[in-house]
Amino acid sequence: MRILAIESSCDETAFAIICEQDGKIVVEKNLLATQIEIHKLYGGVVPEVAAREHVSAIFPMLMESGVSRDGHEIDAIAVTAGPGLVPALRIGVELAKTLAWIWKKPLIAVNHLEGHIYSVWHHAIMTTKEPMFPSVCLLVSGGHTELLLMRDHGDYQMLGMTRDDAAGEAFDKVANLLGLGYPGGPIISKTALAGDPNAITFPRPMHGSGDLDFSFSGLKTAVRVHLEANPIDRVNTANVCASFQQAVVDSLVDKTLTAVLQHHPRSVILSGGVSANQALRSILHDKLEKQFPDITFHAPDLALTGDNAVMIAVAGLFQAKRNQFVDPLALVADPNMRLAS
Amino acid sequence: MLYSSTSQQQTKEIAHTFAKTLVGGDIVFLDGDLGAGKTTFTQGVLESFGYTEPVRSPTFSIMNIYPINRGLISKVIHLDFYRFNSPDEIRTLGLEDFLEDPKIIFLIEWPEKGTGDMSSLVPTKTIHFRTISENEREININ
Repeated sequence: MRILAIESSCDETAFAIICEQDGKIVVEKNLLATQIEIHKLYGGVVPEVAAREHVSAIFPMLMESGVSRDGHEIDAIAVTAGPGLVPALRIGVELAKTLAWIWKKPLIAVNHLEGHIYSVWHHAIMTTKEPMFPSVCLLVSGGHTELLLMRDHGDYQMLGMTRDDAAGEAFDKVANLLGLGYPGGPIISKTALAGDPNAITFPRPMHGSGDLDFSFSGLKTAVRVHLEANPIDRVNTANVCASFQQAVVDSLVDKTLTAVLQHHPRSVILSGGVSANQALRSILHDKLEKQFPDITFHAPDLALTGDNAVMIAVAGLFQAKRNQFVDPLALVADPNMRLAS
Repeated sequence: MLYSSTSQQQTKEIAHTFAKTLVGGDIVFLDGDLGAGKTTFTQGVLESFGYTEPVRSPTFSIMNIYPINRGLISKVIHLDFYRFNSPDEIRTLGLEDFLEDPKIIFLIEWPEKGTGDMSSLVPTKTIHFRTISENEREININ
C-alpha cells in the first residue's frame, strides 16, 4: 500500500509518500517546506513565504513530491485533521479532500498527536521491535505535553497533560530570556552540556500533585526571577540551561514513571519535538531500564521528532488497515480534535 | 482600575470581576512580560464564562478558540503573537470573519507583535501586567 500524507497543523507544511512492502515501510518522499526554497519552485513570483503561509507552499510541494497527475500510484491519502491552528489545518485538509475526490482514493483523517506517537513505528518496523500494548506514551513538543495510555492501535486514554505551557514552549521562552535565539530546545541542551544541573534549584512544578498533569509556566517565571536577582547568569548561561533542563526532565520523567506504576504498560513511547533532547532520552531510558527492565523503550529517529508528514503517513497506514476512512465531502478540520478512546 | 495580586488564584478572581464587564466584540490587549500572568488571567475569564476544559498557553498554537454558551457571547478567541517575526504574519490567521462576528471576544497576548499602523485590531480594553516580585503582580485594567 502506498500512502500520500499531508501535514499543515501549525508552522510546517509537509508532504510524504510511504510504501508498505512485505511488512516493511519504505519512505519514498519526506518533504518539509522549511527545507525547500518555495519561491524558487514558484519561479520567483512569490518574494517571500511567511511562516505558516501554507497556501503558498502547498502546491509547489505537491509538484515537488513527484506524484503523478492522476495519482494512479497512490492507494490512499492521509491528512492531519487536528488539533492545530484552523487556517493552517484547513489548507492541508482541503487539498487532501480535493485529491481524494478527483482521484477516487480513500481518505484518512489523522490526529496530529497520533502521528507523533506513530513516528516511532517507522523505525520499529525496520528493526522488528514494535512497541507492545499497552504502551504509555509521553508526547512533548512546542505545543503539547501529554501522557497517554495506548491500549491498542487507535485505542487511547488521556492520562495527563500540561495545565499551562508546553515543555517545548518553556525551552523557547527560557532561551529567549537568555538571548540564545530560536528554537530554544537545541541551543539550551547544547549550552547545558557545559553546566551543572544541580547549580540552581529551580522548582519541579506539579511534583507530588497526585495526578499526571504538568505545569511549566511557573518554571519559566522562576528562571526569569533568578536572572533578575543574578544578572551575571545572563552571561554565564551554562548552569542556568543545565539546571532548567534538569527541572523539565525531572518533571517529565517523574510523571512518566508514575504512569508506568499505575498502568503497567509493556512499552513506553517518547515522541514529539522535545524527544530530540538527549538528556530526556537517556535519563528516561536509564530509569526505565533500572526500575522496569521488562518494559521496552521507544523514541523516534531524530529526523522524525519535529512535525513531519512521514508520521502522518504511518499513522494513516495503520488506520487504513482497520478500514478507518472518512468521507472527503464531510471532513472538516478540527482545531480541538481529540484522540478517540 | 489598579489591582494587586499575590497568587494565581487571586489573578483569576480579578479576571472573574473583569469578565462581567465584557461584551461581544470586545478586543482585549494583554500587555506584560513573560510570566506576568496573562494566560492565568485568560484562564480566569474563561472560568467565569463556565468553560471547564483546560485553557493553555497559545504561544505555540497562536490561536485557541473556546466555544462558550453565554447568550450574546459565543466564543472566546485567545491569541498570542509572541512568535511573530513580522505583523504581516497576522494575515495567515484569517481573522476577518471572526472580527465581523459581534458575539466573539478576543484576548490577545503580545499584541504589538501582530499589529502595525494599518491594523484593524483596535483594543476596546487594555490590561497591563507588571511583575513586582516572585509572587506579586500589579494588574492595571483600562
